[in-house]
Amino acid sequence: MMHAQGLTKTFNPGTPIENRALRGLDLHIETGQFVTVIGSNGAGKSTFLNAISGDLLVDSGSIHIDSQDVTRLNAWQRAGLVARVFQDPMAGTCEGLTIEENLALAWQRGEKRGFGRAVRPELRDMFREKLARLKLGLENRLSDRMGLLSGGQRQAVSLLMASLKPSRILLLDEHTAALDPKTAGFVLELTDQIVAEQKLTALMVTHSMRQALDHGERTIMLHQGRVVLDVAGSERANMDVPDLLAMFERTRGEAVSDDALLLG
Amino acid sequence: MNTVSRRLVLNTLAAGVLAAMTSFAQAQDMKLVSVTAIVDHPALDSARKGIEDELKALGFEAGKTMKYQYQSAQGNPATAGQIAKKFVGDKSDVIVAIATPSAQAAAASTKTIPVVFTAVTDPVAAKLAKDWKPSGTNITGVSDKLTLASQVDLILKVKPNAKNVGMVYSPGEVNSVSVAKELKAELQKRGLQLVEAAAPRTVDVAPAAKSLIGKVDVIYTSTDNNVVSTYESLVRVASDAKIPLVAADTDSVKRGASAALGMNYYDMGRQTGRIVARILKGEAPGSIAPQLGDKVSLTVNPEAAKKQGNPLPDALLKEAKEVIK
Amino acid sequence: MSFISLMGALEIGLIFALVALGVLISFRILNFPDLTADGSFPLGGAVAATLISGGHDPWLSCAIAAVAGAMSGWVTAWLNVRLNILQLLASILVMIALYSINLRIMGAPNVPLLGEATVFTPFIGEGGDSAYWIQPMVLVAVVIAVKLGLDAFFASQSGLALRATGANPRMARAQGISTNRYTLAGMALSNALIALGGALYVQTQGGADISMGVGTIVIGLAAVIIGETLIPSRNLWIITLATVLGAILYRLFIALALTADFIGLQAQDLNLITAVLVGFALVLPMLKAKLRRASGAK
Repeated sequence: MMHAQGLTKTFNPGTPIENRALRGLDLHIETGQFVTVIGSNGAGKSTFLNAISGDLLVDSGSIHIDSQDVTRLNAWQRAGLVARVFQDPMAGTCEGLTIEENLALAWQRGEKRGFGRAVRPELRDMFREKLARLKLGLENRLSDRMGLLSGGQRQAVSLLMASLKPSRILLLDEHTAALDPKTAGFVLELTDQIVAEQKLTALMVTHSMRQALDHGERTIMLHQGRVVLDVAGSERANMDVPDLLAMFERTRGEAVSDDALLLG
Repeated sequence: MNTVSRRLVLNTLAAGVLAAMTSFAQAQDMKLVSVTAIVDHPALDSARKGIEDELKALGFEAGKTMKYQYQSAQGNPATAGQIAKKFVGDKSDVIVAIATPSAQAAAASTKTIPVVFTAVTDPVAAKLAKDWKPSGTNITGVSDKLTLASQVDLILKVKPNAKNVGMVYSPGEVNSVSVAKELKAELQKRGLQLVEAAAPRTVDVAPAAKSLIGKVDVIYTSTDNNVVSTYESLVRVASDAKIPLVAADTDSVKRGASAALGMNYYDMGRQTGRIVARILKGEAPGSIAPQLGDKVSLTVNPEAAKKQGNPLPDALLKEAKEVIK
Repeated sequence: MSFISLMGALEIGLIFALVALGVLISFRILNFPDLTADGSFPLGGAVAATLISGGHDPWLSCAIAAVAGAMSGWVTAWLNVRLNILQLLASILVMIALYSINLRIMGAPNVPLLGEATVFTPFIGEGGDSAYWIQPMVLVAVVIAVKLGLDAFFASQSGLALRATGANPRMARAQGISTNRYTLAGMALSNALIALGGALYVQTQGGADISMGVGTIVIGLAAVIIGETLIPSRNLWIITLATVLGAILYRLFIALALTADFIGLQAQDLNLITAVLVGFALVLPMLKAKLRRASGAK
């Protein structure tokens, strides 16, 4: 479960480039819920995700994950609770390390690291098994450098890494945006599978209204640092992209002008 | 691993060729004298010239009746270590080491090959010799230690009513540090003060000298390698600020000090050469006691003194062994 | 080159292999440009020389010297992670401060160790004639032990975390790694190795001299670069081996350059000759690749 209350964050306060990214954002996500997030550029989506993961600390407000107050904890301290897949395949993995080493790092997420071998034979077997599920042939390439993989392959592995250890919330930050449509489709399908299997609480930011409606069970829209739309259940099931648009315009009294949002 | 084995083979071949060529050069049965200095500068270079000239005068001429090699460590102690090892490996008959770091490296590399040090101010503190008696080891040499009482006498002769004496030196040279300590004590005995200015690198010498302007009546320097190697920069500051300079070696007077009661490094080199010749003729280094440089002479430079705003008294000019024109 | 010269090059090469391994950790693994070495190498030497000439056990002195080095590396890292001072600047600050600290520790600019018991003394027989090859052998054992220890460490969970810290700090933090802590620890380890090198160095050179640190980082970097150019690999255990060999090779080049007088070169040309030899070694792989391509194209 994740509970965010009254989050505010302003970048460069008091300067000509001041940016009030979050302006009192409230959101409650029940355990096991898969929520999609949309919003135009500058709406505060990435800022929100960074606030949950601890990559930045909010100016005011609170964040609770499973009743634990994590507002003042930094990223590595929250890592045991939060799993994340970045938009940039390079950012989420270590290019110079091998596939099994990257997996071993993820396997220890949130745990104490000692002086025992990082990649033991039993772990290797388990990694092979999990990689086989991706059906990309990666299970035979455990000692290959991560840098040898394509963007789509890396994102698939990132997803796997994020789900190796249980997490209280899985953050997916436009994780298919850098991929071609076919690979994006593959990774999204994988996402659905993994989230369903492990009954994960997940928050997926996407640039595409289509994706937002097709995946997960609840969709929220951010605008100017606040949640302006929140649909779930049957209301959402009967919605299509134009309906979503109309709802937005009604709520905010203005047309959505972001092309990518409309066309996605 | 192809690259590794290929590299190893190439390297071994190269080393082999070089070894063959150098051993060919040493095929004849002449004595080998190997000389090394920690760094190149005029005083140490004069010492080396003195050694070479003395050996030639005593019948040992490089290339004709004696094999001779010289290597400079370019200021790097690690290189000094490798040079010492090379000299030992070349089966030198005598190793001459100029200045403390080179002497220590040589001493650490061999207990059998004779090592003659020179331009080492305090061989006892450097653990090159137990005391000033014949050591019984393979090490002996010539020290450039000066009696400070006469140095202070000279300072007062150059600047009679001096109250504060400045000293520019490198805190990284053990000889200079011990001289500074002794000088401070000697000056205090006579009611004078020592004002120190540290110059760890050659580029720090001029700023250190400048820091003494207005605080001292005269600047004294010892045989500090750092200062001596850039003595001209000190001379420039002294001329601009009109402060007389007193040095501790005669070469520095040629370069612009007002006066110095010191050893001429060339003479020290010749003294060292005499010791080397004795060893080449069969004497054991352990039976030769470490010596003090035996030629201490007064050299003056009246022109420089005038530039420094302090013409030298006639009595001093008459006393001088050498007057620089 | 005589056998003694060769052993001399091996001896100093092995000592700088320790320095090079330390530089490998900071520059390559942690991605932290660190110049502390010019201060931490003599720090190790100063601590060891002062303790040994004071009568203490040489091995213990080496250990304490390594701890001193670790502290200096820790301070450099602390200036960067806590006070946000640029890595290079932080290391320069510490290096400069260490000059004075080292002088204080030694009490004088030169602390001789001639005649003192060193870590090598138990292995050298009477007369000391065999020192020239026994010392390198002892050092071979030390360097092998250190290299294998590092290899095991980098394969461990902590070691992997350290590597991630340098490779992708943001990802490392996302995996629960405190990059600040690992940077502090990594820099401490790096400079502990460098200081250990310094401690062993003064015992082979007959004493500690305040000038011994000048150019340490250059030698360390040269060794790392020579190693990775001649034996390129992504395997960490090959990289550590390449680093050790690079250090030995570099000192071998200097020993070779010392014998160049037969072609009319003089003492002053030593640095130039060394540079030419090293430059040639670095260019060799590229030349070989070109030759291979040329012969393949025929």
